[in-house]
Order: sequence, then structure tokens, then C-alpha cells
Amino acid sequence: MLLQAVILFLILYVLPIFVGGIFARVDGRGSLPFRWVSGQFCLWAGFQAICVPMILLPRENSFANVIGMYGVFVAAMLLFSLALFVKRCAKEWRVYLVREKDTDRDMIARLLLVAVLLLLGIQLVLAVVLAYEEGDDAFYVAISSITTESGTMYEILPYTGGTTGLDARHALAPFPIWIAMLSRVSGIHAAVLAQVVLPVVLIVMAYAIFYLIGKRLFPDSRRKQLLFMLFLELLVMFGGQSLYTAENFLLVRTSQGKAVLADIVIPFLFLLFLILFEKLQNEEQPGTKYWLLIAVTMLTGCLCSTQGSLLTCILLGVGGGCAAVCYRKWKLIFPAAACCIVPVLMAVLYLYLD
Amino acid sequence: MWTSVIQIFQKYMGTGLTVIWFLAALIYLFLFEKRKDRRILFVYMPVLLLLLYFNPLFAGLFCSLVGSEIYFRMCWLLPVIVVLAYTAACILEKRKGKGQLLFAVVTVLLIVFSGKSVYENPLYSKAENMYHVPDSVVHLCDAIVVPGREVMAVFPRELLLYVRQYSPYVCMPYGREVIEGDFNEFYELMEEDVLDMETLEPFVNGKECHYIIFSDEKEMLGEPEDYGWELFDRMDGYVIYRNTKVPLIY
Repeated sequence: MLLQAVILFLILYVLPIFVGGIFARVDGRGSLPFRWVSGQFCLWAGFQAICVPMILLPRENSFANVIGMYGVFVAAMLLFSLALFVKRCAKEWRVYLVREKDTDRDMIARLLLVAVLLLLGIQLVLAVVLAYEEGDDAFYVAISSITTESGTMYEILPYTGGTTGLDARHALAPFPIWIAMLSRVSGIHAAVLAQVVLPVVLIVMAYAIFYLIGKRLFPDSRRKQLLFMLFLELLVMFGGQSLYTAENFLLVRTSQGKAVLADIVIPFLFLLFLILFEKLQNEEQPGTKYWLLIAVTMLTGCLCSTQGSLLTCILLGVGGGCAAVCYRKWKLIFPAAACCIVPVLMAVLYLYLD
Repeated sequence: MWTSVIQIFQKYMGTGLTVIWFLAALIYLFLFEKRKDRRILFVYMPVLLLLLYFNPLFAGLFCSLVGSEIYFRMCWLLPVIVVLAYTAACILEKRKGKGQLLFAVVTVLLIVFSGKSVYENPLYSKAENMYHVPDSVVHLCDAIVVPGREVMAVFPRELLLYVRQYSPYVCMPYGREVIEGDFNEFYELMEEDVLDMETLEPFVNGKECHYIIFSDEKEMLGEPEDYGWELFDRMDGYVIYRNTKVPLIY
């Protein structure tokens, strides 16, 4: 069990943090949460790029091949990140460590921090100790369990176990296969991963993104950052006025791809827009890595849900359009449009297969 | 189209108070937010997204592409809680001393009473194990699985959602689709208060079920042995019969 936990910790925290080094400069600060989230997005996007062709062109041991190829991809990303790290001569890392060690002597800020951590802790504990009778889990968790055990992807009916043809709607967004990959590599049952382990990781990731947004919105006030987080946590916990809110999805269907789309991918796009608008405000250019990260985020949206391609394109269209008009930077439209190419192709493929 | 777009939005809003606060926050930020980047992110973009959502042409196109039942996901593009939390923090910033504390308390109360705790949902229950499936599913599946092959088993309605989450080696003649309303005669017969062996037999054999599992409180019409059903085990309020007419070789 300890070994399994260590493997998962490495895959879900350590690897993304290292890979996220590639995008550290997009944030400008290279903070740990940004590295973690952007690194995970990079790994998710790679998984999507590897997995979808393997599902559409099934062969013997497709799932094992996905794991193998994904391993190679992760190794390549690690090497690339390490090369960048060496190039920067570890300078940024030291700066980062000093920054993060800043202690807060403000008593109110400390109290707020305790409240924020307490509310987060409550949500994480409840995610573990409460079970929710969620009909869609009968599909998504079963897909993960089947894939882990049988090595086939979307070839078996999750509800009954019968064989089936390609289910394009779900096969183009193979988030459950990512869970199956984690299960196969770590040896932890797919249901335990989906119901206990991943909710803990993904809820923390969602709040990490909110924290990064808060840090940008209130760069000079720790108190306001924490108040922002406190209000957000309460809004999430009391977001059950409807079954359709993103907040409800975050706590109830945490490890389903659509919840990741609503509560991690879309907020992360908002964070990236905030970064873009700030850069444009300061007459700076976003840079290639920024657009690469946007493209990676769009691809992650496709991994999460087939509607992810549509929703992320709409959001990028609106955000990019606003930036182009408000800052009169018409050239922004080109990289933004380029980032939409893969999601649009995925949408076309979906319509064709459906 | 317009009516269904409104209905979907009403469903998304629930009680509607949080969305009202969101709209109020948009107006506040439109009037008082000075920074251009924040105005774009928290005012212009949400307003454009709202206009897009309520545009019948756009809604028609979206729904024709991916279906109207998921149009509510367009609302996920609205940064409702981020805008609310940001606005609240901004207003708080302008208060001094006790006014600040009072506003913070009022905000917390408004959030609590405008929304509804996610955990109040009656579908929540205390998890019985790490798999978040009923213990009975774990015990039943462990009892019937055999190494190296799949088994076919009929389960009662309350366990259908969970069986294949726990064990992909257990197949079922019907699953979640019957809970969602698909008609299945086998399922209907199994859910009767009294199990009529004679009527069930062709379904059980036809679907090659190795095991038949049902509540041990159910009455049975007929002798199980006469139909090739052997009592296999009893656990957690369920009885398991092994259908000897379908061989289980491993």
C-alpha cells in the first residue's frame, strides 16, 4: 500500500511539478502550484494525443501500448524540463524557494489561512468518507475498471459486460482511460482511485488554480487573497442550489472528465486570460510558451469531455476576441485560432463518427 | 428554442439567488472596477458569454451539434463564483474597522443562505468502503467470481450501479439502462415481489446466467431445485443461487 501511495504521489505531484518547469515563465513567478497545474495539463494533453489514435485504431494490447508510449512521452517531457532547468542554472528555483518561505506575521491573515485550510480539509475528508449515488459512475468508473483489467478500451459495454462497437462520444474524451492507466501503473483499484484518491487530488488542484487567480488579483494583500479563497470555498460548498452548477460537479462528480472540464480546465483558461490581459496591459507580449500552454489546455479540455473542445473554443474565442478588440492587438487572433485547430478537428471527428 | 434556453438556465440557477448576486456583482464591477484587464475578464467576457448563451441562433447551432440536454454546460463558462468572491473581497477592502468585519459576516451569511449545501443532497451516504460501493456488492462479487473468466449474474435493482465498478469480471444481463427507464422484461420479472421460477427460467438460461441474486426476503413461486438452481450462499440480506444449467468451467 505504501509503495502504491508513493507511486501515485510521484505521478500526480512530483512528475507534473518537474514537467511544469517548462511553463514556469508563463506565470512570471514560477510558483509551485502553477508548475504543478501546468505540468499536469501538459501530461494530460500528451495522454490525449497518444490515447485517441490508439482507441480509434484498436490493435492487440492497445492499452499496454498507450501506457508504454505515455511513459516515453513523460520521460521526454522530464528531459526537456531538466534541460531547461540546467539552462537557467537553477537561478529561478532558488528565488522561488526564498519567496515561498516568506512568513506572514499578520494575525488576521493567519486566522484566515487556518479557516481556508479548515474548509479545504473538510471538503477533502467528506470526499473520502461520503459516497454519492451517482448514476454516471456506473459508466465512467466501470470503463476505468474494465480497461485496467481487460486491457481493452471502449470495446466492452460498461453496464453489462457485452461487446460493443466504437462509442465515439466517449472514446474521443478518454479521461476514464487516464484513470485506468493510473490504476494499472500504481496497482490501486480503479474505483478507489476514482472515488477516493483523485477527488482529493483534483479538489486541491481546483483550489490551487483559484489560489493562483487570487494571487494575481490581489498581489499585495495576503489577507485579500485568503478572503477571496474563503469566499470561493464557501461558494463551492453552498453551490448545491442546482445539480448543474460547476461547484456541485466539483464536489459530487470530482473524477469525471466533465467535472475536471468545469472546475479545472475552464478556471485555468481564465487564469491564462488574466495573465494575458495583464501582459497586454503592461505592453508585454505573451510569448510562444504562453500560447503553447493555451493549446495544451485546449487539448486537455478535449480529454475531459467531447463538449470540452466546443466550450474551450468558445471561451478562447470570446477571451481572445476581447483582448484583440480592447487592446487593439489584432495579431492575437492568429495564435488563438491556431490553438483551436486541434479541438475543432476533434469536434469534426466526433460529428463524423457520431 | 428560446423557451428551452430559458428553462435550462432556470434549472442551472436553482433558487436563483446566487445568479442574482452574480449579476449585481457584474454591475458593481462595471461601475467601479478601474483596471482594464479586470473589466475585460470579469465584466465584458461574462456579458458576452451571457449574450451568446441567450442567442437563439447560437443555442440552436449548439444544440443541433451536441444536444440540448447538455446546453447547461455553457453556463460553466461564466466565472460566477470567481466574480462573486472577487467583488466581495473588493468591497471589503473599501470598508474600515468594524464595517469590514460586518460586511465579511454578511457576505458569508448571504453565501450560505443564497445557496444550498452540496452535502445536503439525499444521495450522499457514509461510504462503506474505499470503493464507495455497498459492502454487499463487494461480498457478493467476491463470492461469485472465479479465476480466469467472467461470470454472468442477475443482481437486484439497488446494486446494478455498483457491480461493474467493483468487478469487471461480473457481467449482468441488464444494467443501469433499466434504471433509466429502458424496458427489460427480465428485469421487470426479477423486481416482482414474488419470483415466478417458471417465467424466469427462459430468461435466466437464455442470458446464460451463472448466478441469480435477490433479496432473501423475496418469496419464490416454485422449487428452485426443479429448475436447476442450487443455493450457493446467503449474505448481507441477499441469497445467491447457482444456475447449474449454465456450466461454469475454469
